[in-house]
Amino acid sequence: MVRARYFNENAVLAAPIVLFLLAFLGFPAVVDIIYSFSDVSFENLRSPRLSGLNNYAAVLADDDFWQATRFSFKFGVITALAECLIGLFLAVFLSPLFNKRPWLLAILMMPMMVAPAMVGLMYRLVLHEFIGPLPHYLYLWFGDSPSFLGPDTVFTTLLVIETLQWTPFALLLFYMAYQAIPAEVREAALVDGAKSVRMFWYIELPLMLPVLGIAFFIRFVDGFRVFDNVFVLTGSGAGGSTTSLSIYIYLAFFRSGKIGNAVAASMILFVVALILLIALGKLRRRMARA
Amino acid sequence: MSLTLNLLRWLVFITAALVMNFPVLSTLITSLKTSAEISSNPGLWVFKPTFENYALALQVTERLNIFAYLGNSLAAASIGAVLPIILAFPAAYAVARHGYGRNFLLPVIVNLRTMPLVIFAIPLYMMYQWLGLLDTRLGLGLILTIVNLPLALMVLVNAISEIPEELDEAARIDGAGIGHIILRIIAPVCRPALATTAIFGFIMAWNEFLFGLMLTTRDAVPMTVGASFFFAAAGGGVQWGVAAAVMIIAALPPVLLGLVMYRQISNSLTAGAVKG
Repeated sequence: MVRARYFNENAVLAAPIVLFLLAFLGFPAVVDIIYSFSDVSFENLRSPRLSGLNNYAAVLADDDFWQATRFSFKFGVITALAECLIGLFLAVFLSPLFNKRPWLLAILMMPMMVAPAMVGLMYRLVLHEFIGPLPHYLYLWFGDSPSFLGPDTVFTTLLVIETLQWTPFALLLFYMAYQAIPAEVREAALVDGAKSVRMFWYIELPLMLPVLGIAFFIRFVDGFRVFDNVFVLTGSGAGGSTTSLSIYIYLAFFRSGKIGNAVAASMILFVVALILLIALGKLRRRMARA
Repeated sequence: MSLTLNLLRWLVFITAALVMNFPVLSTLITSLKTSAEISSNPGLWVFKPTFENYALALQVTERLNIFAYLGNSLAAASIGAVLPIILAFPAAYAVARHGYGRNFLLPVIVNLRTMPLVIFAIPLYMMYQWLGLLDTRLGLGLILTIVNLPLALMVLVNAISEIPEELDEAARIDGAGIGHIILRIIAPVCRPALATTAIFGFIMAWNEFLFGLMLTTRDAVPMTVGASFFFAAAGGGVQWGVAAAVMIIAALPPVLLGLVMYRQISNSLTAGAVKG
């Protein structure tokens, strides 16, 4: 009786969010699926003809698609790794400063508050070969400056830009996890005569491991789907070498009108993300049980 | 020993702060230079500081209108900050109090945070075309709502879970309906969490770029997209001083909110990562 009442009540309470998501994600997902199996162009949007797996075949045969996938994957892995390593070092090494003056964290969080698109635009200025401060000082001090957005260096430049903006995220997570380690654990280790390096390696780091994994995953996903800063900085430039998967989908749809390709690529991305999430959920539950 | 170590810590902190904030600092400095000084002195020192770039940035021309971009961002980001709360708050109550949807609804919505939303971009574009939502502030705000929903739900579930259950039981015994309990009893206690969610959501929505780029063309262009217009050379090339001033103006609202509210925002940013 009570259960039944709660059940109805819950359904009513959850209705707004469920209906909203069905309209704004559920419906688009269905359209995505239908279009991905159809011969579709801007002329026959409302009456697409089913065409089986043609779109998928076209995407999988498209070199640009694989180029974009490779870019996204490499970009995601390298930036996530760099952000986590630098963030971990800063969080642990600077924790005495943050403990005493928490507002110092605010200064390091500032980069995250600026829109990635805006940061990308700012680097157009910072890296500009005539008026940019960075090339200016490199010329002044070393007599030479790389062409940051040239084909050979642009990938590294983008990696550094992304890493500098989002290392604070990893830092913040790790600092919170570091603080959450109970004082008794540290005291017990001290009584056993553990030195600070050993204590970090054998006690603190294992305790922070779950958070490290989560931070890496979140940063990998954000790096993998990167769009804003790369797009404003290079467009699809540098011979398409900086096209991420998100940019590939955008360009296929808006620039070349290959709706079929764009939608099929979206579906592939969707399925891969889904598999990854389910696998991760299983892993997490198993870790929680252990 | 401890003193040198401390000194080293400060050195590392200052270096990290300068390097990470370098694009913003350097843009701020450039925005204060005259156009003559920008080409003659690319360094990080201003010899003749001026606000003329800001005056020029605020000038409305046929092609560029920064007030329109700011207004669009303000309107769309406000929708994107408030609507997720309205949608998620009742659901968060059902999840936190009755464990409703813990096995399916909650994980699905929370995982949306890691779904590349570009997947839905093309059907959404077409749907917007049919509904007449293309290039409208409302349309953009609705998309920003999707972006902010997962985090809003997570933060609100955590917040409601921390309120003692006796509070709503007492009200129930007094015969209060569910609407009354949520709006009059739970919501006031959750006020800090609601404010944090709204402000964090506003920052995220203000900074969004991809959907702004795709779904707006003229009337509802947000600031992130509008700023890039200033880089499209008009006649005599890019006016770097003006572009720099525009970027500082565009970055100011989220950065100020972030500096003032960094403690609450750090909690929102990491919500779910540490707890969920």
